[in-house]
Amino acid sequence: MIEAPIKQAQRRRKPPLSLRVAPYLFLLPNMAIFALFTIWPAINGFNISLYSSSNGRTFRWEGTGNYQQILGDGEFWGIVINTVVYAVTFVLLSIVIGIMLAVLVDQQRRGRSFFRAAFFIPVLISPVVVGLVWNWMLERKNGLLNTFLGTFGVPEIPWLIDNTLALIAVIVVGAWMQVGFYMLILLAGLQSIDPTLYEAAGIDGASRWSQFRNITLPLLQPSVLVVVVLSTIHGFQAFDYIYTLTGGGPVGATTLIVQYIYENGFVSPIRYGDAAAGSVLLFCAIFAITIGNYVIGRKREAV
Amino acid sequence: MSTAPTVAPSSQDTGPKHTWTSTGKGKVTATDALRVVILVTSALVALIPIVWLVLGSFKTPTELSQRPPSLLPDSWGLTNYADALTRFDFGTYLMNSVIVTIAATLLTLMINSMAAYALAKYNFRGRNALFLLTLATIMIPLQVILIPVYQVVASFGMVDTLWGLIIPAAATPTGVFILRQYMLSIPDELIEAARVDGAGEFKIFLRIVLPICRPALAVVAILSIMWRWNDFLWPLVVAQSESTYTLPVALARFTAQETVPFNLIIAMSVVSILPVIILFLFFQKQITTGIANTGIK
Repeated sequence: MIEAPIKQAQRRRKPPLSLRVAPYLFLLPNMAIFALFTIWPAINGFNISLYSSSNGRTFRWEGTGNYQQILGDGEFWGIVINTVVYAVTFVLLSIVIGIMLAVLVDQQRRGRSFFRAAFFIPVLISPVVVGLVWNWMLERKNGLLNTFLGTFGVPEIPWLIDNTLALIAVIVVGAWMQVGFYMLILLAGLQSIDPTLYEAAGIDGASRWSQFRNITLPLLQPSVLVVVVLSTIHGFQAFDYIYTLTGGGPVGATTLIVQYIYENGFVSPIRYGDAAAGSVLLFCAIFAITIGNYVIGRKREAV
Repeated sequence: MSTAPTVAPSSQDTGPKHTWTSTGKGKVTATDALRVVILVTSALVALIPIVWLVLGSFKTPTELSQRPPSLLPDSWGLTNYADALTRFDFGTYLMNSVIVTIAATLLTLMINSMAAYALAKYNFRGRNALFLLTLATIMIPLQVILIPVYQVVASFGMVDTLWGLIIPAAATPTGVFILRQYMLSIPDELIEAARVDGAGEFKIFLRIVLPICRPALAVVAILSIMWRWNDFLWPLVVAQSESTYTLPVALARFTAQETVPFNLIIAMSVVSILPVIILFLFFQKQITTGIANTGIK
C-alpha cells in the first residue's frame, strides 16, 4: 500500500529524455514509409486527377476536365455498371454461401477441420493461378466442365465467350476463391453464440428453421457486417484473377474499374488523368459504402 | 474491437459441441446425411480445380490437347518442372518471389512491431491521432492510389527493382493493429522493472517485448508471407523487365503472350501454390484464429 504514493510521485516527475524521445524513434521507420507511400500519394491522387498526362512526366492542367471526360464516356459507364453488378452479386453470393458453409461446418462433428481446411484452401491460391486454372477448365471445346456436362448430354457452353456467361463465370470464380475466408469469420461468430439458447429453444419446441432465424441470424449479425464490409471492398478491388481468367473480355464485358485504372495508367496509350479520376471515384465509392455499412449495422444493433 | 490479445488460443476445436441440430449418439438422421452430402460436394468443388492443376502439371502437351481430356497423366515424371526451370528463366522469377516475400516480411515485422510498441506502451503527444490515422488507411487500398504511389517510387528510382516491390507496402496498418492489441496485454511492471535495472529502451523492446509477442509476430508474418507471395497488381506495375518478374507476374505475362508452352505454365502454377498450402497445413491454427479474430487477410 505504500507503493502507490511513491509511484504517483514518480509519475509526476518529468520522465527522462530517453523516455520522451523513444516512442517517436520507434514510430519513425513505420510512419516514414507510411507517409511516403500511402498518405502523401492519397493526397496527391486528388491533385493528379486534375491534370492530364500521356507519359507520367509532363502534366497539363485540366481542372475537372478529366471527370467530365470520363463521366461523359459511355465506355466508363459500362465499366461502372460491370463493377457494381459484380460487387453486389459477389457480396450476396459470398454471404449466402459463407453462412451456409459456416453453419454446416459448425454442425459437423466428424471431419470438421478437414472441411474447414478444404473450403479455405482456394483462399491461399495465387489469384493469377486461380484465373489460369479456371480459364482452362471453362474452355469451350475441351474444358473439364463442358466435358463433364457433356457426359449428361449437355451441349458445349461458351462460358468465357458469351458476354453474360463470362460475367457470371467471373463472379462465381471470385466467390469460389474468397468464400472460405468469409466462412472462417462467420464460423468464429457462430461459435461465440451461447449454446444454452438453443437448448432453451429446443425445450420450447422451436423448429430448427425458427431457431436459425430467431437465434442464429440475429446473433451472427456482427460477423455478417464484417463480411459485408470486407466483401464489398474486395468486390470493388477485383482485378488479379480476372486478368488471367478473361482479361476483361469478351469485348470489355468483364472489365472492372481497377483494370480500367491499370490500363489507362500503365498500358499504352496512357491516359493518366482518366486513371487518376477513376481512382478518386473508386475511393469515394469504397469510403461511402464502408461508412454506410457501419451506420446501418449500428442502427440494427441498437434496435 | 476488444483490447484483449487478438491471438488468444482458440477454443473452437475443444469447446462444447453446441450444435443446434446435434443428434443423439449413434442415430443418423436424414438431416445429418443431407448435411454430409452438401459438405462433401462443396469440398469437391473447392478442391477439384487444384487437383486438376496438379494432375495437369505431369501431362505432356499431347495429353493436354487430347479429347476428351485424360484424367490421370501417363507418367509422373517431372519433365515439365525441369523444362520450365532450365529452358525458361523460371528459376529467376522463383528467386525474385522468394527474396521479395522474405525481405518484405522481415521489414514489415521490424517496423510494425516497433510502431506497435510505441503506440501500446508509451504516453506521448499525438499517440491517439497517429493510431487512428494508421487504422483509417485500411480504407485506402493500393488499387486506389496506384498512380500516385508509382510516381513516388519512380522519383526514388525504384521502378523495375526489387526494392520497389518490397518497400512501399511494408508499413501495413493491420500488422500494427494486431501487434499493438497483443502488446497492450504485456504488464507495465515488466517494462518498468527492466528500466529500473538500467536497460535501455531499445534493449527492453528487443529482449523483453519481442519474445513475449512471438504468437502475434507469427500471425503477422504468416499473413504477410501469404499476401506477398501471391501479390500481383503492384509487381505487375513495378517489375517491368523479365529480370525483376515475380512468379505471378511471369505466369500472367507469359500466358497472355503465349510465349511459354501451357504444360510448363501449369507446372510453375503448382510451384507457386505449393509453398502457401504447405505453410497453411503447418500453421492452420494460427492462420484461422488470426483471421477469425481480426477479420483481416
